[in-house]
Amino acid sequence: MGESGREKPSDDPSLRKGLEMLSELEKGPWPSHVSELKKGKYPIEAYAKGLGQGLPPWFSGSARIRCEFTGFIARRTKDGKQTELHFRVYHPSGQFYRTEDLRKLLDFSDRFGLGSVETVGQTGDLIVPIQPDLADQAVDELRALGTDIGGTGDSIRDMAACVGPALCEYALFDSLAARDYYLRYPDFYDKLSTQLFPFKIKLKFSACPMDCARAAHRADFAFLGYWEGAPEVDQAALRAKFEAGSASWKGLAAGCPAKAIRWDPAKQELVIDGAKCQKSMNCIRAAFPAIKAGPNRKVALMVGGHSKGRWGPKMAKPVALLDDYRSAGEFMTRMIDYWSERSPHKDRLGDLVLTEGLPKMVDRFKESLPNPASGKAAGGARIVTSSVLGEEDRKAFAAWADAIAREYEEKA
Amino acid sequence: MPASTDAQPAPTYRLKKAVPVPYTRNLPEIVRRNVGHWVDRKFHGSGIVEHISDTGDHLFTVKAGGTPNVRFSTETLRKFAQIADDHGVGALRFTRAGNIEILSESLEQALEAKRAIEAIGFFVGGWGATLWSVGSCTSYLTCTTAVVDAPSLTQAIYDQMVPYFTGEVPLPAKLRVNVTGCPTACGGLVADIVLVGHYGAAPSFDPERIRLCLPSSAKVLDKVVPEVQMVCPVNAIESFARPDGSVGIKIIEKKCIGCGRCKDVCDHITWDADKVGVSVLIGGKSSNTGVGPTLAQVLVPWVPACPPRYRESVAVVRKIVDVWRAGAKPGERVADYVNRVGMKTVFEQLKVPVARWNRPNPLRTGFGVRQFVSR
Repeated sequence: MGESGREKPSDDPSLRKGLEMLSELEKGPWPSHVSELKKGKYPIEAYAKGLGQGLPPWFSGSARIRCEFTGFIARRTKDGKQTELHFRVYHPSGQFYRTEDLRKLLDFSDRFGLGSVETVGQTGDLIVPIQPDLADQAVDELRALGTDIGGTGDSIRDMAACVGPALCEYALFDSLAARDYYLRYPDFYDKLSTQLFPFKIKLKFSACPMDCARAAHRADFAFLGYWEGAPEVDQAALRAKFEAGSASWKGLAAGCPAKAIRWDPAKQELVIDGAKCQKSMNCIRAAFPAIKAGPNRKVALMVGGHSKGRWGPKMAKPVALLDDYRSAGEFMTRMIDYWSERSPHKDRLGDLVLTEGLPKMVDRFKESLPNPASGKAAGGARIVTSSVLGEEDRKAFAAWADAIAREYEEKA
Repeated sequence: MPASTDAQPAPTYRLKKAVPVPYTRNLPEIVRRNVGHWVDRKFHGSGIVEHISDTGDHLFTVKAGGTPNVRFSTETLRKFAQIADDHGVGALRFTRAGNIEILSESLEQALEAKRAIEAIGFFVGGWGATLWSVGSCTSYLTCTTAVVDAPSLTQAIYDQMVPYFTGEVPLPAKLRVNVTGCPTACGGLVADIVLVGHYGAAPSFDPERIRLCLPSSAKVLDKVVPEVQMVCPVNAIESFARPDGSVGIKIIEKKCIGCGRCKDVCDHITWDADKVGVSVLIGGKSSNTGVGPTLAQVLVPWVPACPPRYRESVAVVRKIVDVWRAGAKPGERVADYVNRVGMKTVFEQLKVPVARWNRPNPLRTGFGVRQFVSR
């Protein structure tokens, strides 16, 4: 890890400043990432120097790992003295680990890595920093543990699923099995190790509309549990809940964002209007299992959501209500091919959906879906997260923030 | 030096990934026999959930908050593994929000696990009407495009918000905060409060080093658009032939929105560290409750980001939480609160100066699965 290039703190003012900042960050009550990194062999001086300078210390680097084209990222410091290489390792769906398996992974990190991991990256993988000269061998060791590296660059990335039926009573389909299925879906599986596409492709699976996998925000292809019509009500069980005081019809009616709930005093029954129901899960969460998802269960397929793309973050748009999550494979393959032929480098699928229009895109491929396309896309939110400000504006916002900071300092 | 590997046959088997399927292989026994059988849950405080199965099994999950950017040493994870063995079923789960869940078989065991987690310096909480997590991208730990270091900013926020995580100080509803180091927003705009590091101005570049990202000869310019120019969504980058026959670019500040896509494809785009700040967005959420899923929207376009304590950025987050706590009805996420009282009111409550970049427009709603309803 570039040991020979390490400078003494006193040699470099920004490194010294950065190291002071890092020790300040260890003083608070919340467990510190700095303390954790210091326990391993992570090149902490590079991080310190970056903080001291106010600039990231890394440039793109390179690593030689035979027959691996995705799954690892290499960096070098701007002065070339230190390197950072990390693996993106597939978690099993649900991210459950028996302790004996976890310890094997930790042994792996100690032997081949820096004794430190990031338990979940933004895509959902386990990030393991690796010693570059052991990287090639490390791939095989990892495969022997039953997992692999994958999902970087312009490839099919790791897929993400909510915990689904493994722990959650709201699950409407097996989101974990769905992730497994599409990781092994032949058209995708063959391409997990190649960077063929204009940009990354993400699939996410949430087993109910609560969307714990954040599929609608962050997946090119989002699968969400759904039911048609109204939730199913067990009236006797619900009345028992009312009597026990754990729920009330007034609360359920007032809590429904769609205003789809009313009380029938004659029958002493809760009535939910299925045409209005927006699947917001409010009544279900308040009175489960007396109220649960309706019997006509579907998997909602949506396309084009992402955080990083040409025209900023976008929400996924509705395509179809599937009876089975397995039936979207051909549609996705054809859509990806179409996008690959047309879009310039670094344009996401959602960017093409935006320029071509959803109906046109879906019509082109809808015969590959078993169910007719349905749903109407909501107006696109166009979000620019950054700004280009003049001196005056920056001063005004700085003064505003300073006043708030002083308010809290005075309270303390 | 590593040994030369050229003499060995190429390991082409690696082209087929060894993906860890099926997931059932990795499940602890109690979870495996209850997949799809869970029927109810009970909360025991804000850090322990009891999962009840129709098979008669009860499973208790104890949630421990992760470090910023969920960086753990193997030493610490071994301690968690030991806790899972001593006070649980010998298994744990990493959540997608960066927390760790220990799985226990009884409430007593779960409470023991809680005490053991607290004894190694971690907090238990993050369920119900609490702070669930402060998500963070990797930033200066490995990323080339980060403007602000998200993990250290996350640390500064967490240090101020421990009582919200443990449930000691009640919140109206679930709260998620995301911190992301550059306008790409890898952390996503899915949280109630999102901080995004950005340049504060148009980015700049070193005119010599930028050549590494450009075609070597200007002769190709009538056929090829340099990638760094092509990716710009607002055409704020122009390329031209320099007198020596090489390619040069210029960034037109008036058009630039500071989105950082040029930085994504070229390491040699840089910026003025004095102008750097974070934008503060509110009202993002993932679940279909209330107004449904939303993208967070800009509240303040620029707040100074000063490590290591990030005085101003952290104070603004605390202020937003306080305004929300004071005004929201029980169960109302930030987005639901903003939607009910109006974005304009929230701007007034916070006395935010308004510029071109932060108009108090209403939150866009109606996304997610409810798009299938409103046809």
